[in-house]
Amino acid sequence: MSVRDLRGAKRHWVLFGCLIWLTFALFPLYWVAITSLKSPVDVVGGPTYLPFVDFQPTLKAWTELFSGIRGEFFSNFWSSTIVALSASVIATIIGSMAAYALVRFTFRVRLMSGITFFVVAMGGFLFGREVLGIGPATASIIAFCIALALSIFINRFKLPGPVLGNDDIVFWFVSQRLFPPIVVAFALFLLYTEMGKLGFRMTDTYFGLTLAYVAFSLPIVIWLMRDFIASLPLDVEEAAMVDNVPTWRIFFGIVLPMSKPGLIATFVITLAFVWNEFLFALFLTNSKWQTLPILVAGQNSQRGDEWWAISAAALVAIVPMVIIAGLLGRMMRSGLLMGAVK
Amino acid sequence: MTNIRLKNIEKSYGDVQVIPPLDLEIEDGEFVVLVGPSGCGKSTTLRMIAGLETTSAGKVFIGDRDVTDLRPGLRDCAMVFQSYALYPHMTVKENIGYGMKVRGVDKKIAAEAVANAARVLNLTDYLHRKPAALSGGQRQRVAIGRAIVRDPEVFLFDEPLSNLDAKLRVEMRVEIKQLHRRLKTTMVYVTHDQVEAMTMADRVVVLNAGIIEQAADPITLYEFPVNKFVASFIGAPSMNMLEGKLSGTGDDLVFESDAGASFPIPKSRIPALAEFSGERFSLGIRPEHTSENADVGPKIQIKVIDVEPLGPHTLLIGEVGGEKFTAQFSSRSRPQPDDMVDVYVNSGEVHFFRESDGRAVR
Repeated sequence: MSVRDLRGAKRHWVLFGCLIWLTFALFPLYWVAITSLKSPVDVVGGPTYLPFVDFQPTLKAWTELFSGIRGEFFSNFWSSTIVALSASVIATIIGSMAAYALVRFTFRVRLMSGITFFVVAMGGFLFGREVLGIGPATASIIAFCIALALSIFINRFKLPGPVLGNDDIVFWFVSQRLFPPIVVAFALFLLYTEMGKLGFRMTDTYFGLTLAYVAFSLPIVIWLMRDFIASLPLDVEEAAMVDNVPTWRIFFGIVLPMSKPGLIATFVITLAFVWNEFLFALFLTNSKWQTLPILVAGQNSQRGDEWWAISAAALVAIVPMVIIAGLLGRMMRSGLLMGAVK
Repeated sequence: MTNIRLKNIEKSYGDVQVIPPLDLEIEDGEFVVLVGPSGCGKSTTLRMIAGLETTSAGKVFIGDRDVTDLRPGLRDCAMVFQSYALYPHMTVKENIGYGMKVRGVDKKIAAEAVANAARVLNLTDYLHRKPAALSGGQRQRVAIGRAIVRDPEVFLFDEPLSNLDAKLRVEMRVEIKQLHRRLKTTMVYVTHDQVEAMTMADRVVVLNAGIIEQAADPITLYEFPVNKFVASFIGAPSMNMLEGKLSGTGDDLVFESDAGASFPIPKSRIPALAEFSGERFSLGIRPEHTSENADVGPKIQIKVIDVEPLGPHTLLIGEVGGEKFTAQFSSRSRPQPDDMVDVYVNSGEVHFFRESDGRAVR
């Protein structure tokens, strides 16, 4: 039974149902679009639906937005664009590397060395703070470096306890996204301010914000790319291995081009996530590197419920993603692997 | 000198031993085919030579070099895969030339090598196409071209023709043989198809469960199989096996099949078989050594199940007391299914295998 087989009245009912849903999905967008064209009087004076019929459209909200009366619009747009693009590119590349490694190589992490890392890192931090009296940032950096080196070193030995494999590592990555972002945001804010005290300014900088986004996007990138790379034919890489192509070239010259559809899909998802992200931007920036979601939210608090202005800002935040998705969508098509094997 | 020596190589996955210690020497310039049923370890053996699988024990030598612990790229092998394994985003030209590009071969020399390989393989018109726009046979030729330009010490083929249709397979068989004749490079070829093995190899290595059953040139393999496995694996349609036992003494030695057929032992075989009188044996008869002519030798009666007229001759698929038996008649004869037919056997060409260990006695 398929919708294609429906004839006559049934067919029309299905079409009718689809149209209802389409309206339901598109109406909010339409509402935002016309609200951005309304004057304050039209907005507060009860619902009006059709421009030129119900109300006289005005570009006031838009001119105000672009003239910068309502916050540094261009600055925010610019920082959103730069941060979103660079964080997505970096996260996609690094995440793909990690995913490739997790698919093609076997890792064995002993649970004991993981526990050692945790104990030494936390203990070292507390020891540095309470006993030696050094600053929290310095203490944590030193403790983490020592813990990492130590845990990698002792992982070579036959320790008691279970051995974790690739799937466990992937789950560990994905688990980073299981707890509420606010927890991370607070911790990150504290860490960044502490680093600021040491002289590395991290809050409200391009580097700080991008780094946070890369770190927070990586689990999703690794998870998506792992499935994609796992579906690539191993023979092709083996052929390259026999042909004496070095591993890094196999990755960049063969694996990445073959995973183009997956890379683009992952990139778009990451881009959308970073572009729309609110919480980190709120915590980690305050003026120069504020992003669009902050601007949109700020419209409300600065001068009351000025829906026409909020609508214009919201549209500006939506449109670039729609364009990107439209442009890259056609490159996500499958069929790229045709001819590689069989 | 590029011979290959496998010394006591073993392969185990965990507790499962896929290949028990295996010894094999492949001469310089020899075309060796590893053949066997699926899961017999032939591909694993080839991949251990290529370095794509590690050996659990033992050593692999290519020429004088111990390559056991070398990574695949340093072994100087070229490999052709069953799945072609082409780089899908590159044109034919880039596919063939990629290895040289990576190794930093001079561009002019590389272009010349690609053009040469393309000419030899009839790919010149397709150099700018991507693999997706090629037919199966062309794709496999690209894969072979990629191997040729490597100018390797050893060529490895892993069931390269299995994905092609029957006609193309025959053509490619000839092409690969010609390639070997021209290049005179050592080649190791894996297939499950015994016809491919017989037609191409200087020497066929029959593998079963990781053990070399017999390694010999195709005709020896066909005429003198050392055991029952090789006998039934080599030859198409495969050899008929009748179970039974030897009885009688001296010149009256006969093979009595469990199905009731009695088969006098030819004079020439009596000296070798006399001492086994009373033991259980399998009698192997190739379909091509049977006939409807009464003058060739003793007869066996079969019940016809199906008739396969092939043109040059007709195959009768039948049974003798529950055991399958295929006979080859001239195409003039027209038996029907359910007929009882007398099949005469050229007794000089039959094989005897001891039931205890399956070995041939001759």
